[in-house]
Amino acid sequence: MSDIKIEGYEFKPGFKGMAKDTGSDQTMFKGVHWGKAMMWIFLLSDTFIFSCFLISYMKGRGSTIIDWPNPSEVFGLHVFGVDVPLLLIAIMTFVLITSSGTMALAVKYGYEKNKKMCGWLILATAIGGLTFVGMQAFEWGKLIHEGVRPWENPFGAPQFGSFFFMITGFHGTHVSIGVIFLFIYAYKTFAGHYDEGKRGWFTTMKGDYVEIEILGLYWHFVDLVWVFIFAFFYLW
Amino acid sequence: MSEDFSDNKTIQAQSSETISGGGSGITPDMDYVRPAEVGEQDLYHGHSFITKWIFCQDAKVIGVQYFLLATFTGIIGLILSWLMRLQLGFPGLAPFMTAEHYYQFVTMHGMIMVVYFLTALFLGGFGNYLIPLMVGARDMVFPYLNMVSFWSFFVAVAVLLASFFVPGGPTGSGWTLYPPQAILEGTPGSGWGIMLMCISLILFVAGFTMGGLNYLITVLQARTRGMTLMRMPLTVWGIFTATVLAMLAFPALLVGALMMSLDNVLGTSFFMPTILKAGEVLEYGGGSPILFQHLFWFFGHPEVYIVALPAFGIISDLISVHARKNIFGYRMMVWAIVGIGALSFFVWAHHMYVSGMNPWFGFFFATTTLIIAVPTAMKVYNWILTLWRGNIRLNTVMLWCLGFIVTFVNGGITGIFLGNVSVDVPLSDTYFVIAHFHMVMGIAPLMVIMGAVYHWFPLVAGRFLDEKLGKWHFWLTFLGAYSIYFPMHYLGFIGVPRRYFEMYDSPYVASAVGMNEFISLAAFIVGAAQFILIYNIIKTLKTGKPAGHNPWQACSLEWLTPTVPPEHGNWGDRLPTVHRWAYDYSVPGAKEDFITQTTPPSEVAHTKVEKT
Amino acid sequence: MDKTKKQEQTSTHKIGIYLWIWGLLFVLSFFSYMVDWYQFQGMLRWSLILFFMFLKAGLIMAFFMHLYWERYALVNVLLWPMTAIACFIFLMVAEFEYTVFTRFFYFVVGG
Repeated sequence: MSDIKIEGYEFKPGFKGMAKDTGSDQTMFKGVHWGKAMMWIFLLSDTFIFSCFLISYMKGRGSTIIDWPNPSEVFGLHVFGVDVPLLLIAIMTFVLITSSGTMALAVKYGYEKNKKMCGWLILATAIGGLTFVGMQAFEWGKLIHEGVRPWENPFGAPQFGSFFFMITGFHGTHVSIGVIFLFIYAYKTFAGHYDEGKRGWFTTMKGDYVEIEILGLYWHFVDLVWVFIFAFFYLW
Repeated sequence: MSEDFSDNKTIQAQSSETISGGGSGITPDMDYVRPAEVGEQDLYHGHSFITKWIFCQDAKVIGVQYFLLATFTGIIGLILSWLMRLQLGFPGLAPFMTAEHYYQFVTMHGMIMVVYFLTALFLGGFGNYLIPLMVGARDMVFPYLNMVSFWSFFVAVAVLLASFFVPGGPTGSGWTLYPPQAILEGTPGSGWGIMLMCISLILFVAGFTMGGLNYLITVLQARTRGMTLMRMPLTVWGIFTATVLAMLAFPALLVGALMMSLDNVLGTSFFMPTILKAGEVLEYGGGSPILFQHLFWFFGHPEVYIVALPAFGIISDLISVHARKNIFGYRMMVWAIVGIGALSFFVWAHHMYVSGMNPWFGFFFATTTLIIAVPTAMKVYNWILTLWRGNIRLNTVMLWCLGFIVTFVNGGITGIFLGNVSVDVPLSDTYFVIAHFHMVMGIAPLMVIMGAVYHWFPLVAGRFLDEKLGKWHFWLTFLGAYSIYFPMHYLGFIGVPRRYFEMYDSPYVASAVGMNEFISLAAFIVGAAQFILIYNIIKTLKTGKPAGHNPWQACSLEWLTPTVPPEHGNWGDRLPTVHRWAYDYSVPGAKEDFITQTTPPSEVAHTKVEKT
Repeated sequence: MDKTKKQEQTSTHKIGIYLWIWGLLFVLSFFSYMVDWYQFQGMLRWSLILFFMFLKAGLIMAFFMHLYWERYALVNVLLWPMTAIACFIFLMVAEFEYTVFTRFFYFVVGG
């Protein structure tokens, strides 16, 4: 963040700063923790994975000559006698953004070494994620009940089912992995592993609150991907 | 900050720009280097045999593990190529070679050599061993992840080789695995084989991502004091850029492999169009086979440079050390590597000129393809200019370097042929293409690997490899490889198609028969010649001449460790401090013909060394 | 790794900014939902969807993922590779148009 200080190194802003950081010795991303840099690069790679999925979806949808089903109707819910388009998806988006917000606050309280707030917020994020996965399972169940399968689709092009299950499944897998880690990190926060610098179970690295920011990056990325899936899959 | 560097705290910087002093004359602060930003790395030291040699977290051991496993798969690939040549040169001589087997061997040979041999060897093997040593780090930044990376690769190889033993055998769809035929009945290994191939690739990508993150963050965030990006040896630049490409290109392969697995197992139709088979319409329909080709080559073309860029980097270092001259145009070389890397994402469809894609694409991709020849040619000129009036040591390493340049230029020029749509269309799917890519990304990188093995073996094992055996190895490989691939250009021109199991009695290729026999014989000899290296290594480990410290009188950091071979943690008590680039050879006025990267400016103040 | 010269992260960002962004994300999601609710079609739908999408993505990246406060070295490393993706998207649009053209031409018109 903005207020780092490094002995013998004067920071410059903007592109001049970029040139200087890049040309300097030791590190290119000044003051950025190794793990955080790694997570960023990993997310860049993961972005390419999701981009390839969405590009494939675009190509598949664009080149089929059978009509694509109208997502607004397919994903609509019949509530209290009214047909509401995309209701479940709207709630899912709401839940995921909520959990993203709690995560952002958890990171903030982590850096302030506020163990309690941080832990509860991570737990809230995890529960939000779990809710999201639950609703996604419900949505899958509903579509399967209606006869949509990865290989066929009563509403139109069979690729609709294929791409829907694959892309939301891949995103759901990311959410589920995130939820597992959120629960682990909530435990570690409450147990004070980040205050004491307790070593990790596998990696034998010392714990630090920066790990919460790293997990936070991953969680926001999952939210980010959902923004794109929401726009391209449900609204298009 | 660590106590190790506390003695530097007393020296004050005159300006924040100062990384290392420069200018003429000795001034008090000319040796100043900024203090360390990051504290000492917290390393896990294994004590048992298992934590030291098997599930080891030391990048050097992991590098050797990668090297050995990649070589093992490479030998399998070599044996497969022998079997293919046996069939092509002497059809019918080996009765067990059916057409199915031939296609399976073609597929596995290609996939093994490109992904499991060259990529794993350059990035996993050389990358792990050399990056921490060359940038002055104690280890990779995430040693545990690094270990998991190797074992994922191990499992990936195991799954790949397991496909030889499943019902139907390995997939026979060519290394490009094009659907629809890859998963349709009638193609060998269309059930289990292709499935295991996809699983193995996914595992490889997952494992490689873990390793790749390590290489990138080590280079970007864990360099030693004074080591700027523009002071890194070109080896590191090559491996670094190749890793960037891999991190961005492998996702496309992962997605392609995943979607094809779904097509195969669940019966989705991502890549499967409506297919008529023996008059019946199959269940598939509406998919786009060309999408797979785009995904595959969006990975596949950067993959070519994932193999080539580390080779470019390594060869630059070897030439510079053994010609006792600084590399010509270092910055140009760096920018050429970066430029080739960036451009490689915009050229992929030149592999698909005859695939039936949008015809306008040929225009775009031929242009970008020919643009990429510019930085590549610059590199070749710079290698030659590095040799020009150098104090060349004509040892085995240098021979491999020269062999590389010749082979690479040869393969590169045929590449310019194939980059043009109108020339490519008639040459597509002939032996000309085979000759081109084997020259440029088979033999040329292999020469670099061999040169690198002869160069760095004294560091890894502390002993020189035998020169006499090495020269035999080189000349047999070099002349033999030319005997194999040079005639193939001619075969391509007369129109012999690739991937044909047998030519039978095709009168128009009568002249190909004798040539195929000749090529096959040469292939057997070249393959066998590689075992000279294995013999050489085994012999040298026992009886080789001890190398001692910095045997090639090189400048770069990997030779300057307190112990040879380096121990876990690489640098003993304190990390090295870097004051210059890795190429100060034959500096006028210097006592010796090399100034190591750690030599402070005050020691060489009266020489004509340039500030780098 | 543990002892990264940790600048004491005393001045984390004020809570207000996170709440603001949070609120904005809800509002923008609501708007993009409204695009569907009112059944806008054609280019209007497209541009609105993309506009809200990029705005939301930008807010998440800039503030929740702290990219706004990161140095340009990191930001540029993360954003430039997207040109490859942009090129891929652009070409695949051309490709699916050609595919659907050939399919109509051979299967519907010509068949």
